Amino acid sequence: MKSAIYLLSIAVLALGLYSYEVRKDNEHLQQTIHAQYTNSLTNASEKLSTLQQSVSQSLLFQDEVALENELDNIWRISNEFRSTISSLPLSREVSNEWLRYVGNIGEEAKFAADNDDFESWHKRMPLVNQNLQALADEWTVATSNFYQNDASISEWASVAEKEANDSPFKTVAANLKTYGETDFPLTASESDWLKKKELQNLDDQEITKDQAIEKLESLIPGIKDATYTVTKSKDNAPYPFYHIQFVKGSRIGYADITVKGGYILSFLSERPVQEKTGITQQQIRDLVTQILNKAGYTDLQLVEMRENHEAWHMSLARVVGEDKALVYADGVQMKISKDSGELLGLNAMEYVQKEEINEDQEVVPIDWKAFFRPGTQVEEEQLIYTENEAFQLRKCYQVIARFDNDLNETFRVVVDTENHDVLKVEYMQ
Amino acid sequence: MVRSIFMSVILIFGTLAVIKPDEPLAFSGQTIERGAFGDDVIELQARLQYLGFYKGKIDGIFGYGTYWALRNFQDQYELGVDGIAGTKSKDALVRVSDYHGDWVHEQIEKGNRFTHYGGIPLAQQTSAGAGSSESTDVQLPVKYSERDLQLMANAVYGEARGEPYEGQVAVAAVILNRLESAEFPNTISDIIFQPGAFTAVADGQIWLTPNERAKQAVLDAMNGWDPTENALYYFNPATATSKWIWSRPQIKQIGEHIFCY
Repeated sequence: MKSAIYLLSIAVLALGLYSYEVRKDNEHLQQTIHAQYTNSLTNASEKLSTLQQSVSQSLLFQDEVALENELDNIWRISNEFRSTISSLPLSREVSNEWLRYVGNIGEEAKFAADNDDFESWHKRMPLVNQNLQALADEWTVATSNFYQNDASISEWASVAEKEANDSPFKTVAANLKTYGETDFPLTASESDWLKKKELQNLDDQEITKDQAIEKLESLIPGIKDATYTVTKSKDNAPYPFYHIQFVKGSRIGYADITVKGGYILSFLSERPVQEKTGITQQQIRDLVTQILNKAGYTDLQLVEMRENHEAWHMSLARVVGEDKALVYADGVQMKISKDSGELLGLNAMEYVQKEEINEDQEVVPIDWKAFFRPGTQVEEEQLIYTENEAFQLRKCYQVIARFDNDLNETFRVVVDTENHDVLKVEYMQ
Repeated sequence: MVRSIFMSVILIFGTLAVIKPDEPLAFSGQTIERGAFGDDVIELQARLQYLGFYKGKIDGIFGYGTYWALRNFQDQYELGVDGIAGTKSKDALVRVSDYHGDWVHEQIEKGNRFTHYGGIPLAQQTSAGAGSSESTDVQLPVKYSERDLQLMANAVYGEARGEPYEGQVAVAAVILNRLESAEFPNTISDIIFQPGAFTAVADGQIWLTPNERAKQAVLDAMNGWDPTENALYYFNPATATSKWIWSRPQIKQIGEHIFCY
């Protein structure tokens, strides 16, 4: 009996010590997180204040150098503010609205600096400056509780769990939404871009579920007579489509097909694939051509092939005009198995609603020797259409350039044909 | 006499086997070109490096570095410059270079930092464990890195390992759609670790080791597949308590998740 009491006492003591240690560890963790969140909050508040001052200061200058300097600051600070805000446990709504609003300010600053468009900056920013000042004041009020001596991690935990309407950030969230809509209305090109993304211009005749399955089977005969489950997109989806799930043998997959016109947006099939293959890269290329002809996608060109251990992934772009320029924005992607050459995936969403091309854009020749530093070799040149930062489709030179050295580092450089703005530089592996 | 001829033949073959121990590992019959990956590319890079044409990493991925090296080799040996390793180029390479296949593969498997130049003892061309142990069996679109793939595979496995393959691609696609959206941070890491963004981060399931299926799902999403049709959010209707998430315009349901804008 004595021994049992002795052992029990030891066990209770050990348990007590253990729970004390766990509690201590938890407290330590909570304090560390609390300190990090408070530090981020302080950073965010300071950056918001600096951003507002910078926007205000940018309204001072007419001198282009001084103004460009300020615009660079605004772009940098807006990025830093975005990064800090996204590390705070705010409700999704508050966080999203902040990121969008401040991101818009930064993008505007960058656009004005890149295009020397100082007039429109000066025209738009007085209102933004005023609203940003109001937001900074509301932010100070909303966050004051977080600096009180008795504030604890529970304050942060409750903010993360609460809806924006029930949180201290209620006013900030509501104003951010309003200011976002008034200060940064969508431009025509942004609106067109959204319309295209949401397939709003499709006005073809509607097809039935059975016709959708028929369409799918005609392109991918391998799944003929599969077991199908067809559902329609939710009522709020911006465009109606059939979501077809299929099972046939070891194949399981899906396809999305638009109700209007029956266009295949996306198809993906999963099955066990053998890694070893006797199929050559040329045979895969031939298979791609066959599939494209069958689908009626006759204006596409294969631009990239990537072999992975089960399948080849391929990118294709639409070819337009006499100069055979590539439109990457109207691309199609394909996935073909390495063991049998079966089409495992097709993604044609961007191709369904094609870009409107302005072929009249001037093509001003470039002297690449003057454009690039000595020691840079231009290996390939091709005309393409791509979007600039303002979502405008521009005709561009696409150049594959490499350093003529031991490592042969290679770059893809995209340059506007008319104004020679560099729209993109990519390091090619 | 017959015996001495027989012995000579044995001696010659024996010597050849010692001098070129790895010749049986010579190229397969495939033509190799940009975009390819695998053992043939490893051999191609190693042989080009043996001759001093290729100075990059031997990783089995036929990228631009390998392409220019091969073109330079073809140019110097007057083989017709096209950057494609066909029969003529491969035969010429095998003729003029050595390939220590077992050694090269051993270095890759160990994640060693190594080179394969001719005229330098192999032992002097490797430093143990100093190289990247990153997987070399994937080729990603240029804007993504293997770290992105790894991080996203962790997120997909933690969030959706019980979902159908389409549902796993969908979760990866949502992460990538956020990358394009002004309402979210600018990097994949910031998106995944944004406080409250993913349950798997909050409950630690993101640290489970992802399986091959999750990696494949991420690879398909990175290559353009988006079963969600541009969704930015998803939730499980059986467990979601946020009024806000229910207010988002819904697109479709895949498995247990509803995807929405």
